[in-house]
Amino acid sequence: MSEPDGPGLAPRAWLVWSIAAVTVALLTENPVYRVLVALAALNVLLAWLPRERNRKPLGLALLVAAILAALINVLASHTGADVLLRLPAWLPLVGGPITLESLAFGGALSLGLVAALLAVAPLSLVLEPHDVVDAMPASLERTGIAVATSMNLVSGFGRTFVSVRDAQQMRGWRPRGLRSWNEVLVPVVLTAIEDSVLLAEAMEARGFGAGRRTSYSRNSWTLWDVAVVVSALAAAVLFVGARLAGVAMDWYPYPTLALPPIHPLLVVGCLVLALPAFRRG
Amino acid sequence: MADPIARLDGISYWYPGVVAPSLRDVTLQIGPGLTLVAGSSGGGKSTLLRLFDGLVPQFHGGRISGSADVAGMDPLRTSIPRLATRVGLVFQDVETQSVYGTVEHEVAFGLENLGVPRSHMHDLVDETLGEMGLDGLRRRRLATLSGGERQLVQLAAVLVLRPELVALDEPTSQLDPDGAAAVMAACQKLAAAGQAVVVAEHRLESLLGRADRLLIVERGEATGPEKPRDLAARLANPPSVVELGAALAWDPLPLSGDEARAHLGELPHSLNARPASAPVRRDAETALEARGLAVGPGRQAILDGVDLAVGAGEVIALVGPNGSGKTTLLRTLAGLLAPLAGTMRRSLGRTAYLPQNPGALLHLPTVRAEVDLTLRRTDSADEVESILSSFGLLGLAERYPRDLSAGERQRAAIAVTLAGSPALALLDEPTRGMDLAARRALGAAVRSLSARGSAVVIATHDVDLVAEVAHRVVVLRDGRAIDLGPPERACAAGSAFATQIGALFPGGPVTVAAALAELAAGAPRSPGRSPGRSPGAAEVVR
Repeated sequence: MSEPDGPGLAPRAWLVWSIAAVTVALLTENPVYRVLVALAALNVLLAWLPRERNRKPLGLALLVAAILAALINVLASHTGADVLLRLPAWLPLVGGPITLESLAFGGALSLGLVAALLAVAPLSLVLEPHDVVDAMPASLERTGIAVATSMNLVSGFGRTFVSVRDAQQMRGWRPRGLRSWNEVLVPVVLTAIEDSVLLAEAMEARGFGAGRRTSYSRNSWTLWDVAVVVSALAAAVLFVGARLAGVAMDWYPYPTLALPPIHPLLVVGCLVLALPAFRRG
Repeated sequence: MADPIARLDGISYWYPGVVAPSLRDVTLQIGPGLTLVAGSSGGGKSTLLRLFDGLVPQFHGGRISGSADVAGMDPLRTSIPRLATRVGLVFQDVETQSVYGTVEHEVAFGLENLGVPRSHMHDLVDETLGEMGLDGLRRRRLATLSGGERQLVQLAAVLVLRPELVALDEPTSQLDPDGAAAVMAACQKLAAAGQAVVVAEHRLESLLGRADRLLIVERGEATGPEKPRDLAARLANPPSVVELGAALAWDPLPLSGDEARAHLGELPHSLNARPASAPVRRDAETALEARGLAVGPGRQAILDGVDLAVGAGEVIALVGPNGSGKTTLLRTLAGLLAPLAGTMRRSLGRTAYLPQNPGALLHLPTVRAEVDLTLRRTDSADEVESILSSFGLLGLAERYPRDLSAGERQRAAIAVTLAGSPALALLDEPTRGMDLAARRALGAAVRSLSARGSAVVIATHDVDLVAEVAHRVVVLRDGRAIDLGPPERACAAGSAFATQIGALFPGGPVTVAAALAELAAGAPRSPGRSPGRSPGAAEVVR
């Protein structure tokens, strides 16, 4: 986002877009709308993601979230008319019938999580930490800096984990049960705390907390920013309005599977969330 | 001294929960120019620097007595953000002190905090980046910069606030020689322009001769600041030329290689222009053999075609700039990373690995418990006491390892790693933050391991350690591993890895001990000083 030579979007426009997209994704349980929001957000992300950014962690997070959400519902919900298989009843929690309906509802849950994750992903993968600070309202600047710095620490956390695991392995540690992980997790957490303290020290030494901050970035708004904010807010308002007006926007596959209801206006509401992608051409 | 910028009067300081003071009755004045702060690891250098900008005691807590005035403010009572306009502090770790992701925004962070209007902020950032020669990097991401460039960015980030005093806490401890030289050159330039610059360092070689004043901080007590020449003899961790000069009773004591050269004519005997004999090496069996190795943290190789054979008892030094692949190669040799191509064979026995971050190893309540854990895990008959003693850790045995200073913590991590006599020891930057005494203890431990038949591979920027302990030096450059031969060649004059002593005696010894030994042996005089000899034809490691 901070690429000064290319077309950009104002950090606050990004923030509004993200909040609106998450609102839409979580306000409905309808898999059609969720798929549309996820595709719109994916389109935006792919258009804006800097080439050097590693896409693997996001892909992995999406996969894990999707599988976990679906699996938990499939194994824990035993309702539905179409039984696919039965797990032994003596198995706690998961014992009982596994149904097509619970599988479908688990899929819808996964879609909601994936859509929400894709909607917030630009805040960490497209925006620079200083953009995140600029995106926050003045009263939340400190929160913004906390978020921005934690984004910096996340990559360090991963490196520390690998470094500690390697070092302990070479010292004879082997993963044997949950308790054995203490020898890895304790140094990782302690190192993260120490790094945070060092960062806090460095920030204070550079005047953090002196009072009202100013911003180095010149974030002048363009028509594109206005268009993105207006369309994102319109989408969110549309879904909130539909919910308040009692429009059928949810989908419940129990006891028997049925097609989700689709309202053309809400489909349009999901599709306009793809607008930021067109800014990139 | 011109008008002092900082005055401390009878300052004593205790960290919270610690009985012994970290600073004891410190009274001193700091003026414009370059003040070098030297002293043993854990002696109080970092604490003193943090006192200047109020982090001690305001951030760290604890108890303090005495009075202080820094740039017209009382650092014991003025808020840290207010002090930030007068005092800048650059920290050791280039990564953990970064807030933002790009150069110009990182430099502007302090100005944003102080509410400087945007137009003025841009002027100040432009001016500072220009002064520091960083203009070409302004839009670069910090993650893409070298260690030296990142540290210069951090220096720019405090200079942009136009402080009256700039303090740097071991700014070069994680940098390769080029990066360190760039940071030191920037400090000298600032000092020459009249800025008060205080640098705490263990590596004194390049700065001692150029510093305006020297301040020694040992066990919390400060001596100085005085002219470096007046105080150099009292350094517990002197650079090589000072150590050599002191041993030979040179007067005045040389502070740099150039000054030492002027004394060479006083020698009753000079040193032969011949390579010293290579240290005894036991290579009856191969402890580690790699052929055609390609290594990389991802799928792309950063080193290719590495052939490396390390004999039992042999010590190999891996050198090269930051990012050249030293850590990746060590991790591959340790078996932590799979090679992308080639074959590797290790002899039977334990492989020990010291990571760059000593904190990765330390999680138990005491140093003793940490060493004991390694011994139990490796079924070693070695005794905890003897290991603690050999690393000078007996006095720290009951301390919580993470409360130790950076250098002490590094020593503890090395003791934990090398306990139990591994067949192969792989050490990644083992002398980070270490003072001379600790480095010598490490050298002794490595030689002892070698004598017992352990193979040792050390990745390091520390040329003095290389000269002291290595049998062979391998440089990683442009994706290749190149054998530079024994340190007598690799660390000689003309080499990028020359020690101060190597540069002083072209073709002769490269350590103080070797120089003194050859002088004692009465080597025939060879008056002409030949130009620096390059380390000879390089060859791919075999």
